[in-house]
Amino acid sequence: MNRRFFLHRGALAVAGTTALPGFLVRSVLAQTAAPKQRLVVIFQRGAVDGLNVVVPYREKAYYSMRPSIAIPQEQVLDLNGFFGLHPSLSALKPLYDARQMAVVHAVGSPDSTRSHFDAQDYMESGTPGLKSTTDGWLNRALTDEDVRLRAAHTPFRAVAMGAEVPRTLAGSVPALALNNVNNFNVGGRGPAPSAAASAFEAMYGESGDRILHPAGEETFDAVKMLRGANLAQYQPAAGVSYPGSEFGNNMKQIAQLLKADLGVETAFTDVSGWDTHQNQGGVNGQLSNRLHDFGDSIAAFWRDMGDAAENVTLVTMSEFGRTAHENGTGGTDHGHANAMFVLGGHVRGGKVYGRWPGLEKEQLNEGRDLALTTDYRSVVGEVVARSLGATDLDRVFPGAGLDAKNFLRLT
Amino acid sequence: MLLAKQALASALCVSLAAPYGVWAETPARTAAKRLAYQAGQMQGDQRILHALNRFTFGPRPGDVDAVRGIGLEAWFEQQLHPQALDLSDLNARLAKYSAMQLNEEALLARFPSNALVRQAIDGKITPPKDGVDHAIWADAIARQQVKREEKKQAEAAKAAQSGTMTPDAAPVMASGEAPATEALNQAALNSLLDLPADARLAQLTALPQPVLDATLKALRPIERVQLVAGMAPEQKEAVAALEGPERLVAEELIAARLTRELYSAAQLQEVMTDFWLNHFNVFLRKNETMPYALVSYERDVIRPRALGRFEDLLEATAHSPAMLMYLDNAESMGPDSFVAERAARRANAKKKAPEGLNENYARELMELHTVGVNGGYTQADVTEVARMLTGWTLERPQRGGGFIFDADRHEPGTKHALGLKWKEDGETEGRDLLHYLATRPQTAQFISRKLAVRFVADDPPQALVDRMATTYLQSGGDIAEVLRTLFHAPEFWTPSLYHAKVKTPLEYVLSAARASDVQIDNLRPLANELRDLGMPMYGCVPPTGWDAKGATWVSTGALVDRMNFALNLAANRLPGVTSAWTMNDTSVGTMISTGAPTPENEEARLEPMLVPGGLSETTRAAVLQQFNQQMTQAGAAQALNASVRPNLRAMSTQTERQDQVLAGLLLGSPEFQRR
Repeated sequence: MNRRFFLHRGALAVAGTTALPGFLVRSVLAQTAAPKQRLVVIFQRGAVDGLNVVVPYREKAYYSMRPSIAIPQEQVLDLNGFFGLHPSLSALKPLYDARQMAVVHAVGSPDSTRSHFDAQDYMESGTPGLKSTTDGWLNRALTDEDVRLRAAHTPFRAVAMGAEVPRTLAGSVPALALNNVNNFNVGGRGPAPSAAASAFEAMYGESGDRILHPAGEETFDAVKMLRGANLAQYQPAAGVSYPGSEFGNNMKQIAQLLKADLGVETAFTDVSGWDTHQNQGGVNGQLSNRLHDFGDSIAAFWRDMGDAAENVTLVTMSEFGRTAHENGTGGTDHGHANAMFVLGGHVRGGKVYGRWPGLEKEQLNEGRDLALTTDYRSVVGEVVARSLGATDLDRVFPGAGLDAKNFLRLT
Repeated sequence: MLLAKQALASALCVSLAAPYGVWAETPARTAAKRLAYQAGQMQGDQRILHALNRFTFGPRPGDVDAVRGIGLEAWFEQQLHPQALDLSDLNARLAKYSAMQLNEEALLARFPSNALVRQAIDGKITPPKDGVDHAIWADAIARQQVKREEKKQAEAAKAAQSGTMTPDAAPVMASGEAPATEALNQAALNSLLDLPADARLAQLTALPQPVLDATLKALRPIERVQLVAGMAPEQKEAVAALEGPERLVAEELIAARLTRELYSAAQLQEVMTDFWLNHFNVFLRKNETMPYALVSYERDVIRPRALGRFEDLLEATAHSPAMLMYLDNAESMGPDSFVAERAARRANAKKKAPEGLNENYARELMELHTVGVNGGYTQADVTEVARMLTGWTLERPQRGGGFIFDADRHEPGTKHALGLKWKEDGETEGRDLLHYLATRPQTAQFISRKLAVRFVADDPPQALVDRMATTYLQSGGDIAEVLRTLFHAPEFWTPSLYHAKVKTPLEYVLSAARASDVQIDNLRPLANELRDLGMPMYGCVPPTGWDAKGATWVSTGALVDRMNFALNLAANRLPGVTSAWTMNDTSVGTMISTGAPTPENEEARLEPMLVPGGLSETTRAAVLQQFNQQMTQAGAAQALNASVRPNLRAMSTQTERQDQVLAGLLLGSPEFQRR
């Protein structure tokens, strides 16, 4: 049953959304409560240094190439006897040990660009090398969703934290960009809509404007649904404390939205500050501080979701990695392959996936970066196939030649 | 009517009998052309509003009358000649931003960037020794040193906690041991505030650093006003810079630009400046020097050429510090150049990757600035073009040195790009390349299409784009000529194009402020609103610039923000932004005799002011219905007081409040979202 159908066509449409009989609103909203896999995507903008995030501590070359910023073997959090996590990601280690988190290394976009702009664009559009793509892979994945998994669609089907819809979610499926879930009201907060809000809703609801009428309706539907969810009263689960950073706050809001049964299928947020060309630091320093916030926020989110985490898959990505050598200013420059995290109830965690190419000179990409052995699209392709029921992966990732037989099988 | 038809018939006969260009232009022929164009197109006030919607940042009260007075054609030609317009009002408003007159080097010298402050701390450069400049530098240096100290202590504390020692951590200090710094006591502050402006500034800057900082932080709002009372703009800027020189520059950059967009009589020039700043996008936070480079970029590179020849713009941007830093060409080096080889030798010694060619600018020059992504160039071309542009760099970029061609960085040899051979010729290689790119038919199409999307429709008619491209090529890339082709195109005045474009956040915020005729003392709320709507000024990270298709901006929760902005703007809830809807003597007089105006009256008065194109019946009904509900309650209360002498002040306050909500609803309406 499609909620949109009830609200905007047939007998009930005439009344407008405010006049819907209560029982119908309740029964329709109840439709969205059916649990299904939800996908959370986190984009680390700026090219995070994967080699210091998931450290190949058995590689001698790692230490010789990074005399001042390498993480000493005694300080990594060992994952599998070869790789270890940066110590500032200690909050994620228990998730790995509990087999809820998988790591993929030497993964990324096959395009060789080292421009942040291009690489992010390519990764988000899902078509590396092609600039003409206008939508994002996640939006295409939503259109491809398995019909059987499709419950009622709400305005919250695809949400992004921030002022605008990111490239990843651009496309025909409408996505909602939210700056602040606690402040999504017109004309002031309060238990009832303000007089101004009612006036605006009537204006946009009755308007013949081809673009603004549906956009306005979508907006007021979202405002009403959020008000009904009463997120201002939200308390994270016992013992959970989110970092006070912007990223921590975004993860908290995503948890609120997911738990409020608003029909969220995918949520996107990004986090920046990874472009460590200078003074990157090692165990401590710039990168360490950001990783601390990163790990703590994701771990808090995971614990806050509690049992509901069973039906959530979370994946992290970054447009490319960084040079294997440190540079002349205590940092690293733009590189190639990177590391990704995949968390989820259905994830076969506690392992590091992907074929490790090594860090000897001849094994590096163009003699300077970690080489790529897994295309990120096969990781994400596997995830959307599993969580969103996408079946036509050639449409989600045209030109990637994805084949389920070649997946890493991490879900 | 008959007369007009006869005139039209004879005019058409004339034009059919004599194809353009054969006979000399006469007034009769001009009139005939106009009549021929106007059949089936927007007429009268709608035509004027359409022009104002598209060629300005939104009509202000009185604009339609003014344009009607001189005629649309004459108005447009005026707009194409901004140097002849009276900009004294605008210049008066811009006087307070005196720092915006400085060149990049002078800006950095007076208001140092964080990078320069660090260099001063590390002893690599010498800050100014005396005067106000010295105080600004000294304050910035002191602030950074405090930050460094705090960071070191935080890291040391953390290391102590986790049981490991970092090699260069300072010994851990017990918290709360930082020496207490006292601000001036009230008596001393009062006597400072009592001084005349010059002496006040001198004494302020003579205060020892920690005292100065503490004193400024502790100021009450009224004292802040008193601190700068009577000061010249430069002096006020100096006081602001004492708390953050870089922030002052970035804020003035944005405030000055918003001021021009809001108040300049040369609206088309401002619209085109915005267009080119977007086309040749540069991101404010690319590095710490960028805000300084952008002042000159907007003032010296873009605005003077906004209505000129495209090639001049292209060349100027290619030589600008802003663009050279933004797309990394300043660092690019020919792999076989003298400098690169020397660096490689050193790098081998230090096991560091040698520096070399950067292709970023070369690629975006073609993809985004000239021929477009389908312009027919290959990856190999990008590399070759990058080689041609090596050596285009900056002298002491962190000090604002400006463009320099460094032959030692230039890649030697003949280049093969875009199907041509380019002989080695230093800087001339790049200049010839820019000329070549600026004169390509693909560039003509690319630029014309972008202009058409901005001014005509999200999906403009290809025939019109083609004619604009032809004008481009025939006129040597003269943008004013291309705009004339657009202005005279019958397609432009098709009735279905009226209000066809949805406003981008910038267009929305500016048009709302212009329609409301607001008085602005503080531009920060507007700048913040742009940021909240996803279009922070100079804040577009990728070189593609902002999307000019308005529809993409309303597909999100941004509508909520727009509606709230409209309500806040109209109700004077934005600090420093004031509008007054009621209150002239006539309305007060009317109120005395007939009582407070009804919502219908006020709506009928405000609607033509704010939404001159008119509202739909639905919108008007929705607005009035709200009020009738409220007024029933208020009306009952009033009836009770009818016997008492009417309270004018209460009535006028209530009317003003009512008008604020009305205006807010009008400015947030679906109709106002379009232009």
